[in-house]
Amino acid sequence: MIVIARTSSVGIDREPVVITGIGAVSPLGHSFDAITDSLLAGRTGVRSIDPGEFARESHQFAAAVDGIPAPPAGICPFDVQGFADLTRLEQMVLSPVAHAVADAGLGPHRDRLRIGLVLGLGAEQLKRWELDFLAGGTQVFAPSPTDTLVHQVARTVNLCGPAVTVAAACASSGYAMALGRSWLSAGWVDACVVGGCDVLSPTALAAFYNLRALSRRSDDPAKASRPFDRDRDGFVMGEGGACFVLERLSTARARDARVYGELAGVGVSSDAAHMVSPCSDPTQAARAITQALADAQVTADEIDYVNAHAAGTPVGDAAEAGAIRRALGSAVDRVPVSSTKSMSGHLVSGAAAFEAVACLAAIARQAVPPTLNLDNPDPQCQLDHVPLVARERSVKVTASNSFGFGGANLCLVIREAA
Amino acid sequence: MHGSIPKAEALSAACGVASHALVEATLAEIPGLRDCSVPEGVSALPPRFLRHCDEQTVVGMQAVLAAIAAHPEPRPSFTSYGVVAAACQSGRIATAQSLAMLRTAGGVAVSPHIVPQCSLHSVAGAVSVALGMHGPNIGASGGQHAVSEGLFTSLSLLAADSALPGIWLVVSSWTQEPSLDAAGKPECSPPQDACSGPICRALAVALTADADAAADKGISRRLTLLMPAAIRMARPAAHDQTAADEILDFARGLAAGPAASWSHACPWGAEIRLAPHAAVSFASGSQAASRGIPQREAA
Repeated sequence: MIVIARTSSVGIDREPVVITGIGAVSPLGHSFDAITDSLLAGRTGVRSIDPGEFARESHQFAAAVDGIPAPPAGICPFDVQGFADLTRLEQMVLSPVAHAVADAGLGPHRDRLRIGLVLGLGAEQLKRWELDFLAGGTQVFAPSPTDTLVHQVARTVNLCGPAVTVAAACASSGYAMALGRSWLSAGWVDACVVGGCDVLSPTALAAFYNLRALSRRSDDPAKASRPFDRDRDGFVMGEGGACFVLERLSTARARDARVYGELAGVGVSSDAAHMVSPCSDPTQAARAITQALADAQVTADEIDYVNAHAAGTPVGDAAEAGAIRRALGSAVDRVPVSSTKSMSGHLVSGAAAFEAVACLAAIARQAVPPTLNLDNPDPQCQLDHVPLVARERSVKVTASNSFGFGGANLCLVIREAA
Repeated sequence: MHGSIPKAEALSAACGVASHALVEATLAEIPGLRDCSVPEGVSALPPRFLRHCDEQTVVGMQAVLAAIAAHPEPRPSFTSYGVVAAACQSGRIATAQSLAMLRTAGGVAVSPHIVPQCSLHSVAGAVSVALGMHGPNIGASGGQHAVSEGLFTSLSLLAADSALPGIWLVVSSWTQEPSLDAAGKPECSPPQDACSGPICRALAVALTADADAAADKGISRRLTLLMPAAIRMARPAAHDQTAADEILDFARGLAAGPAASWSHACPWGAEIRLAPHAAVSFASGSQAASRGIPQREAA
């Protein structure tokens, strides 16, 4: 007889799933310490960028990444030139995966473990076709079948478990984290690399600009990303992202791995209201938050920090503030909330994973990163903001919101590991 | 007894299969599908909802509507269902047209719909919005392994969330990618080639979380995931079948009748089987049964 776990919670264990490795590529640095330093110092990664041949505007600004770190030695069959020969998107995906595996100390053990890979990549094909097109290629007009990046990277890094790409627009990498956690809880893998990232591209910049979603404050790029501020006028695009190694706590403890924190709760829902605009009714977004708290078995009073999705759009920030108020109830006045997109820009597919790094940074340094440029909080966004400078305080339990086109809502609860 | 368990099948999950529908359309037929009629009891789609959608969203939506119409009565409310849509190279025609416009007219000419309507999340988002489904909506795969990744993601979500009653799985692909001219327009333009050339294929499947209770509601089959317990999993570098082939194979398995079986091998060594409920027996009195865990006779 073969024992089969059914698809309800029966057969799903509740052992904590913890983060034991981090790899990142971001406008604020590429290591956990560098990113933490930047976030708590209130540095911005937003600046003017070369508008390029196909720019929507003559003065373009974004939170761009300069130089993607090559994978550490012993993880990939690449030398420096081999890595340099990859496309920018391939580099942006491979680098954080490889660094996360190395950081977790799993490099030498890959052959003996079922290591899954879940990447949140919302527009992989669009970016691949665009990069090829801009380099003079014609793949978009007459494509040949190619493996998606998740399978290429799994082979390159020699990860032998399931490999899946997921997409929920700006919440993509958070859904990847949620899915990897479920695989560990079901016992399908021994470890799982999860996360996601994105790259700046002329098409995406133009499309978001034409959608009137981007800030037009081109005279002062550093002030352009201003979530929750009365004078916000859209988001600033960024690039990069992060990947994590997830393991069950017992596995991590048994091998004496560094534990950055626990991915303690997940909540997901859909607005089912509009493909682009956030729903003004906060019911579903709040449901994702309350689901995540319940999954983590914590109350709103126990939350020490909320990393908001808040990208700086007039409608989105107000809608999220309403959802946070609804979900946290009377505790909302005591829970600090900030948006690190004010510093990193909006990493789109990579945003949720990068903001999970921000939560881990808050736990590691016992301080809440600020919302830059929050000079005049919008009365429609009444929360316990952390404007301009970091706030020192005890941080054990954090929640991170992510929302995406198509009405996707996600909340992750990340807390100090027991 | 457990000593006879094949190592390759030690861990798994299962769900019920309530209904399905396969829809195929040529390039020439797709414009006519952008105005949807909905089954009785389903709210009409918002006006012109599919106007800017990618072709795979249009055909995928039609597949979901057809599967709803085919669902056994009493048809449940799908309000709390999730949506997983695994598309293969979706959004390519719109992307080609955007890139062509970018080159000739600059960024001002890029469509604002390209990201929300023609990305990997777009099929799932559109189904969720159009049909009022508040469970998670997720795109998956984007490539040749759409069936594997779509099924695996669906089973993962159902396993993780005991409150999720079901998932609409949509898998879609072109049978052959339309060849495009320099402006991104399909070269086999309708109506001359209306009956030949590339076909957009989408399969929608209603998956129910509670595989056992489903049997009482006229749902006769279940999908079972068998995960390899071996330390090293298979990962073939090449893939023989296209996504469109695999979708058709899955659809034929679903259409073969309640007694038929079908199986699908994932590239990481897992196997997903479609089988009648009769193939699953309950070991009454055993520890597994007392926890509500069904057991299946070893193959």
